[in-house]
Amino acid sequence: MLKIENLHASVGDKEILRGINLEVKAGEVHAIMGPNGSGKSTLASVLAGNEKFTVTEGKVTFLGENMLELPIEDRARKGLFLGFQYPVEIPGVTMANFMKIAVNEKRKYNGQQPLTAAEFLKMMREKSAIVELDSKLTARAVNEGFSGGEKKKNEIFQMAMLEPKLSILDETDSGLDIDALRIVATGVTRLKTEDNATVVITHYQRLLDYIVPDYVHVLYKGRIIYSGDKSLALKLEKEGYDWLINDYKE
Amino acid sequence: MTFEELIVSGALCPFKGGVIDSSVDTSLPLIALNIKTLKVDVAANKQVRLVVAYTESCQAVVEINIAPNSSLELVEVYLADSYANITVNQAENSQCKSLVALLSSSNTTYTYSMQGRNAENTFDALFIASGSEHATLNLNTRHLVSDCRSNSLVKGISAGRATGEFHGLVYVAPDAQRTDAQQQNRNIELDNSHIVALPQLEIYADDVRCSHGSTVGYSDAEAIFYMRQRGISEADARRLQIEGFVQDVVSRCNMEPVCALVHQAVSDKLSKI
Repeated sequence: MLKIENLHASVGDKEILRGINLEVKAGEVHAIMGPNGSGKSTLASVLAGNEKFTVTEGKVTFLGENMLELPIEDRARKGLFLGFQYPVEIPGVTMANFMKIAVNEKRKYNGQQPLTAAEFLKMMREKSAIVELDSKLTARAVNEGFSGGEKKKNEIFQMAMLEPKLSILDETDSGLDIDALRIVATGVTRLKTEDNATVVITHYQRLLDYIVPDYVHVLYKGRIIYSGDKSLALKLEKEGYDWLINDYKE
Repeated sequence: MTFEELIVSGALCPFKGGVIDSSVDTSLPLIALNIKTLKVDVAANKQVRLVVAYTESCQAVVEINIAPNSSLELVEVYLADSYANITVNQAENSQCKSLVALLSSSNTTYTYSMQGRNAENTFDALFIASGSEHATLNLNTRHLVSDCRSNSLVKGISAGRATGEFHGLVYVAPDAQRTDAQQQNRNIELDNSHIVALPQLEIYADDVRCSHGSTVGYSDAEAIFYMRQRGISEADARRLQIEGFVQDVVSRCNMEPVCALVHQAVSDKLSKI
């Protein structure tokens, strides 16, 4: 589904990604871990197409297409979803309106008719239940005045609405209390199918108790330096990164 | 839909000024369309809804006096380049609620004087200047006696090579104790345009609650990225962001059927920036 080959990316003169290689297949869950500043969020942003970063080398193939040539919105419409670490507030734009445009743009791109108002409302109701999101929030402006937990639930709600092929969740667990973490993680698990894939970026093993990964990768200084199965996350939790990164320190 | 059509359909009642007392039917909103001189006296205990609109270039002087215990709801729309001077004098226990949509190269000055105690003034305004337009909104909110309240929200957008100016003054006279005056100004500057914002407070009383604030921002790149990541096109994302910015001002209009027209005029204007 997603194939990243030798991906390099910079912000200004600073190279942050220094040769990422990763392949994600349908039905898989990958976890990306690593110390602060290793490039995890940059990788998510670059895949989504954030223009703050410049791709200097490498290739990314998504569902058979060269993804780096697609504009941000087409990557999304094709089925790429980024769960933001810091969801953005958009004053004056209601969640319902925002989602209606997003869902119908995606449908149009994929040759489907737009949803009727009734179909859309039904979908909103069903999907907000998955993350126990208060339905009143859909009448409010996007993320405006939402609590930290509500913002993260709202990300997963949007993921449920857009039914992506590949979801990249950037520290969706940060800033969540135990209950919100359980709700968000359970939501992600419920959305899991054989046809979609998930990449979770996290600092903490506890998220992986709910969202069980098939692979765990350690990102350090812009490269994946080690990959393993879910037991790697437990080992990292216990022993830290030192045993892995010592060889790479400059 | 136009103002002319609303008049013809009987939804608005044409008005050329004068005393509005019990002999005047105020069940429908009154409208003064492209009128150069308008003098209005709202008699005591009257509730009046008035629309002042400029669809042709105009130099206008408007003077409104609101008698005790009366209220005026004023909607002003500038669709053609105009120069206007609006003075509103409020007696005790009166209320004045204004909504201004300045959508052309106009220069307009509003002076509200609260001359009687317990008067209340609400002012919501939006100015949008695009192309090579120059829109200027001057607001003087004058608390001349004690126990009056004012609340102003002015939002501005400039685009293209346009200039948008806001000059806001809250004046509190020496004896105007227990004044509550709030003034907020928010602006977005796009392209190569300019915003000039000059909020001022002049306070001569000591027992007052006054605040003012003014900001000039740019298009929020993070918000645009967020929307595009959800599959919304860049053009739609920009439009949503700007519409969202003006939403709170526009939504404060509740004088139907004029609001629909104001909404439409604002959307039309935004679609051109």
